[in-house]
Amino acid sequence: MIPLQQVLVLSALLFSLGVYGVLARRNAVLILMSVELMLNAVNINFIAFAVYLAPDKVVGLVFAIFVIVVAAAEAGLALAIILRVYRNERTANVDEVDLLKW
Amino acid sequence: MLLPMPLPASALRFRREHPTAWDWQVAVAGTIVLGIVAAITAVILGLKSFSVYSAWLLPALCGGAFVILALVRNYLPRKGDWVGIFAITAAFTAFFFLLHDYLTRTAGGPLAGFDNSFDWLNVGNFGLRVGFFVDPIALVMLAVVTTVALMVNIYSTGYMHGEARYGWFFAVLSLFAAAMMTLVLADNFLLMYVCWELVGVCSFLLIGFYIERRSAVEAAKKAFVTTRAGDVGFLIGIILFWRATGTFDVQTIITAAVNHTNGLSGGYLTVATLFLFLGAMGKSAQVPFQVWLPDAMEGPTPVSALIHAATMVVAGIYLVARTLPIFEAAQGATTVVLIIGVVTALMAALIAIVQTDLKKVIAYSTISNLGFMMAALGAGALTGAMFHLMTHAFFKALLFLGAGSVIHATGTQEMPEMGGLAPKMKITFITFLVAGLANAGIPPLAGFWSKDEVLKSVFDHQNAIYLVLLLLWVLLSGIYTLRMIILTFFGRPRVRHIYNHAHESPPSMLLPLIALGLLSIAAGWVAFEGIGKALGFPGGIGRFVIPFGAEGEVLSINGGLAVGATIAGLLGFFVAGYYWWGLGERAARVAAHFPDLYDLLRHKFYFDEMYQAIIDRVVLGFGRVISWFDRQVVNDTGVDGSADITGFTGYELKLSETGKIPNYALAIAGGVVVLAIIAFATQGVV
Repeated sequence: MIPLQQVLVLSALLFSLGVYGVLARRNAVLILMSVELMLNAVNINFIAFAVYLAPDKVVGLVFAIFVIVVAAAEAGLALAIILRVYRNERTANVDEVDLLKW
Repeated sequence: MLLPMPLPASALRFRREHPTAWDWQVAVAGTIVLGIVAAITAVILGLKSFSVYSAWLLPALCGGAFVILALVRNYLPRKGDWVGIFAITAAFTAFFFLLHDYLTRTAGGPLAGFDNSFDWLNVGNFGLRVGFFVDPIALVMLAVVTTVALMVNIYSTGYMHGEARYGWFFAVLSLFAAAMMTLVLADNFLLMYVCWELVGVCSFLLIGFYIERRSAVEAAKKAFVTTRAGDVGFLIGIILFWRATGTFDVQTIITAAVNHTNGLSGGYLTVATLFLFLGAMGKSAQVPFQVWLPDAMEGPTPVSALIHAATMVVAGIYLVARTLPIFEAAQGATTVVLIIGVVTALMAALIAIVQTDLKKVIAYSTISNLGFMMAALGAGALTGAMFHLMTHAFFKALLFLGAGSVIHATGTQEMPEMGGLAPKMKITFITFLVAGLANAGIPPLAGFWSKDEVLKSVFDHQNAIYLVLLLLWVLLSGIYTLRMIILTFFGRPRVRHIYNHAHESPPSMLLPLIALGLLSIAAGWVAFEGIGKALGFPGGIGRFVIPFGAEGEVLSINGGLAVGATIAGLLGFFVAGYYWWGLGERAARVAAHFPDLYDLLRHKFYFDEMYQAIIDRVVLGFGRVISWFDRQVVNDTGVDGSADITGFTGYELKLSETGKIPNYALAIAGGVVVLAIIAFATQGVV
């Protein structure tokens, strides 16, 4: 089997890519995609620990399913908010939506 | 009410000229009736164990009168002056029962004091008591206070007739009588201090009675502030004694001081005693606190008679007399008292010689006599000082009331506008003359006996220099007394229309004059054993007012000293007559000969100017510094500054609120990184 550390490194790399996407992207939809990437990286982490450290327990797998469900719900909600903001501000560029500025 | 009745010619003329003035009939008859009622009430009280322990009743009566007058005086007939007169008459009568009970209890034995006190406030192990202590000193003071207050109350019905706020005058008079009586009966320093301040408040209210007059209001303020300065010292002294002994009780502190226990010895005792003396100096107008008393003449004349001649100003003398054992136990305290007393006496007598205002002459005479009493106490002559206090109260109050009669008749207080009033105001003139002779110490009037007693004590126990100075003082007293009498009652009238309008006063004002005149003649005779025993005392006043730890003695007259003092007084009369008789050219020529000295005396030794300069430079200067500090440091830097810092910080920090999501996301990420670093640093990489 592949050593556990390599799977964890993969998960960490994917998470870092996701963080970079959240911080550096201008388009709101792309930020949402990066958030999904982060959630998936976390899922890989959970599954890796579940398979390698406690194969006979279902705790990790159940938690991963929880994360998928929450991610799906959150994606729907986030897209709704992005659509509202676009209708009001005519832009999806998060740099230009600064209504709460001092 | 105009019943035909036999009266002296002046009274008949008064009734003819003032057909609706029924005040004297009410004042005289009503007082006598009320006095009899009060006496009967007191007798009934006497049957039901009125004892020395009921001494609280005397001030309570006057206090009750004050409460009634303060609340409902405008709804009472004659604005309620009869309430005040009734209260003081009842107190006067009750005093005799008190005296009788005291003499009965102490017959044939030592003259102890009787204490009656109760707890008023207890906090932890700190307690305040209210107590009344009756002993010979308190009884002498009560005699003075009740008598003079009664005379002043009756007199005021005539003098203050028709004045605005007539009822309030009697209300404050009653409050003053209550406070003064509580002061002399108090057995602990704290109660005495409360009443001390209360009589100061009454003095303030009464000096500034004519609120429309700016000078009166200023004088009231000056009196209160000056005595207050002394009272601070008094309070510090009380606190020092409490710190050492843990109690405010006067007799306990006296015992502790005499035996030098509780740390009351050496420097501590002297300092505490001198602070106590500061209070006495302020209240009794000793140098340098004497500046308030002449200005206090702005008040109505009955007020001057009651407060600034007979009662309030002797509160300081009473304090020193009461605590005289402490003064004698402290090193050097009695010398300070003696020197300040002599200085005050001489200085005031010198100033009195050049005053033109009649009341001011009498005011300086009062300061001078207070200095004499203080000097007597400093010399250890407790009997002489209390004796002089009593006689002085009577003839000085008489001088003031007589002056009030003159002022009421002529409408002026300046002696250069008077003159030749004797034939127009016979009774006033005679009583004024009697009081003046008593003031100068001419035998057999009251002043002679008390002055001689003091001079004898000074001669026996002190340096000859003090005796010489006091004899000089007797000479000066003679000078200013006769000068005052000559300028007012003799000679040719200086202002014609004032002389034409002058008239004798109504009987409500004359009766107190006559009563006090009789007292001025006879009060000194209590020095004799025979008279004392006939009145029920264990002897003369020498056997009644006894210094602590001494034996009562028969007052004897030092013949040479008596003759010397009388000659000094008569010499003063001769000097006054020689210089001021007629038109007073000789006096004017002497004044022109010594202009600097004359100016010094006319400006009262420049004390007022000195105080004004101190106030302007020191007090107001210090105030300017404090005001700068308050404005610059506290307000601008402290209050405004902290507000500005908050505003500035907010103004700069708000720039972090960009409203942009990526900025906030970066902040979150940065925070996680920091937390991770901290976690790894403290726990190590897992």
